[in-house]
Amino acid sequence: MFAFILRRLLSLPVVLFAVSLLIVGLLQLLSPTQRATAFITSEQQAQNIPAIIEAYGLDEPFPVQYWNWLTQALQGNLGYTRSANMTVARAIQTLFPASLELALFAVVPIIGLGIWFGTLAALHRNSFLDQATRVMAILGWSLPTFVFGIWILAALYGGLGWFGIGRVSTRFITAIAQGEITQYTRMMTVDAILNGRFDMLLDALIRLVLPVTTLAVVITAQIMRVMRGSLLDSLSQDYVRTARAKGLSDRVVNLKHARRNALIPVITLSGLTIALLLNGTVVVETIFNYRGLGMWFATAAVQVDIPAVIGFGLVVAIIIVFANLFVDVLYAIVDPRIRYD
Amino acid sequence: MRPDPDDQTRDDAPDGVRDDATLAAAAAHDEHLFAPEVDMRWWQSKAMRRFRRNPLAITGVVLLLFYIGVALFAPAITAPTIAERERGHTCARDLDLPRDSDEAIAALRNPFGVPFWRAIAAPPQSCLRIPRVSFSPIPQPPQEGHPMGIASGGYDIYYGVVWGARMAFYVGILVSAISFGIGIVIGGAAGFLGGWVDDVLMRLVDVVFAFPNLILAAIFVTIFGPSLTNSLIALAIVGWTNYARLFRGDILRVRNLDYVDGARALGASKWRTFTRHVLPNSIGSLVIVASLDIGAVVLVASTLAFLGLGSEIGTTDWGQMVSFARGYIQGAPGEPFKYWYISWWPGIAIVVFVLAWNLLGDAYRDVFDPRDA
Repeated sequence: MFAFILRRLLSLPVVLFAVSLLIVGLLQLLSPTQRATAFITSEQQAQNIPAIIEAYGLDEPFPVQYWNWLTQALQGNLGYTRSANMTVARAIQTLFPASLELALFAVVPIIGLGIWFGTLAALHRNSFLDQATRVMAILGWSLPTFVFGIWILAALYGGLGWFGIGRVSTRFITAIAQGEITQYTRMMTVDAILNGRFDMLLDALIRLVLPVTTLAVVITAQIMRVMRGSLLDSLSQDYVRTARAKGLSDRVVNLKHARRNALIPVITLSGLTIALLLNGTVVVETIFNYRGLGMWFATAAVQVDIPAVIGFGLVVAIIIVFANLFVDVLYAIVDPRIRYD
Repeated sequence: MRPDPDDQTRDDAPDGVRDDATLAAAAAHDEHLFAPEVDMRWWQSKAMRRFRRNPLAITGVVLLLFYIGVALFAPAITAPTIAERERGHTCARDLDLPRDSDEAIAALRNPFGVPFWRAIAAPPQSCLRIPRVSFSPIPQPPQEGHPMGIASGGYDIYYGVVWGARMAFYVGILVSAISFGIGIVIGGAAGFLGGWVDDVLMRLVDVVFAFPNLILAAIFVTIFGPSLTNSLIALAIVGWTNYARLFRGDILRVRNLDYVDGARALGASKWRTFTRHVLPNSIGSLVIVASLDIGAVVLVASTLAFLGLGSEIGTTDWGQMVSFARGYIQGAPGEPFKYWYISWWPGIAIVVFVLAWNLLGDAYRDVFDPRDA
């Protein structure tokens, strides 16, 4: 198992190499002047585009350009992002924890509710509950994230004013700026606990309710459906009948024998779940004004801020590689038939 | 290693199609000999009977027919607005309609005249722009002549929602068709040529498939420059992987069938096997898969438009119209939901559209899934 993980980690540079090759290749579709704008950090530099093209070798042949890009990137220089007014590396560093926090909070209800409702629906097949779950799943799956997000934003924030948006109230932002609250992790809830500021924890949690709900409603539906289908499959298997014939209790048969096997397709789905989650954070952060990677990406894309978009693309590629590794490890845990040597 | 989810679904669904359909067709054919009436074989097939008994499927079909009707007859439905020639709206002029309102309305609604059919078959691009009642930034609630209200900038929501249906079909069909084409070419090359070509192309499929589609499309749009055309190209570049995998799988599967072995033994070339046996066997079910994807394509396309990466402002695009609401989230004091209509109408239009396609897709899987028979 350890050797397998190590081997997969060693393949990470290869994947990143391919992705970066693809991205820099795509950039060749732009003119050297357009590519030069990636390095502009001030008005003064904007006057001097030919010098930038010269300095970064933007009119050289592709292999030379790729080499230049790679040496810069390996030194952590991914360019400057206009939309966030800092270097791309710095933007990723400061904004990543925010998106991670949002995703972690969303994953818990998505997996928990998805598996729970899927199990209930399968165990009570064709009952009212099953039909209701099915209708809910189709409805949830048909709700575009941005439509649902705008609706609950207008209803619960704009209309009723129950929840806030953004990450924390301005008074905590001021406190952070004045150094009263130290940012250890840049995840607001964790920092609040580490600083012992439970008023800030509450504030951050309330602001997470709307984005997390929006992310969860749309993605849970998918897991629920797959869970129901695969549990129905396992329940009709011979070994489940044998287990019942042995006199095991329903609970043990359903949850230990059948559900454990039924989880495998759900794990297969987790690759898709992660993709949906990443798509979702872009939309949700934009709607709820939650300053994370996704909102930065959406703003950057509209402003044609190319270094930002490419930097974000690299981050997403890395996340996906690690996520797939995690999924493969999870397989081995759930399904002992799988061996990785 | 990991089980390939495609292979399973693939083996179930399309085989079921063929088996059910051919068996039922054969049975119906025998009956047909004795009852030379109207040919009802397709309608009476086992799969179709199951489909007709599924209330969710029927709901999907009815909803979709409704959208097709709205999209098709959009010129007649919105005739008064077109005839009024509101600010910057040249749809009526481009249709050579008279200046007089009543006459233009009558022309757009008269199914025996030329303008009616011309507007339906080939409306000018300008009809896909939302007419502006004013340039006022303040939204107006539903009122006479504007049953769904007016968004900020004076955009008539009703007109946008109705013509948005046409836009959705344009976008969905176009993107699905291009993706389908790319998928067939790449999947075909991989399956037909095999060897290292297959390896390289399938790795490419894996990478594109694993990448979140919205994000990848947004990256492409940024690099190409934000516009409707570029967003459609980006969506097509992102959406072809599934067809490539399915088509390649079909090629490999059919190649090992006994009768293809027979054909090969008789001296049929690789190319002949491909065109005579693989293509006719596989294209039909792939076209169904592609057309059922229209709903999903429209969902992603409208998300891009919502983020500002699609059509330019003022196009009859549901996603973009929802984004009109972003400046009017908070109502007025005492009227917390004052501006509900801005996001409600285009939003519900997208949701029901996607829902209709998902119901159809669900029913298709249910009906043709032999495990559930």
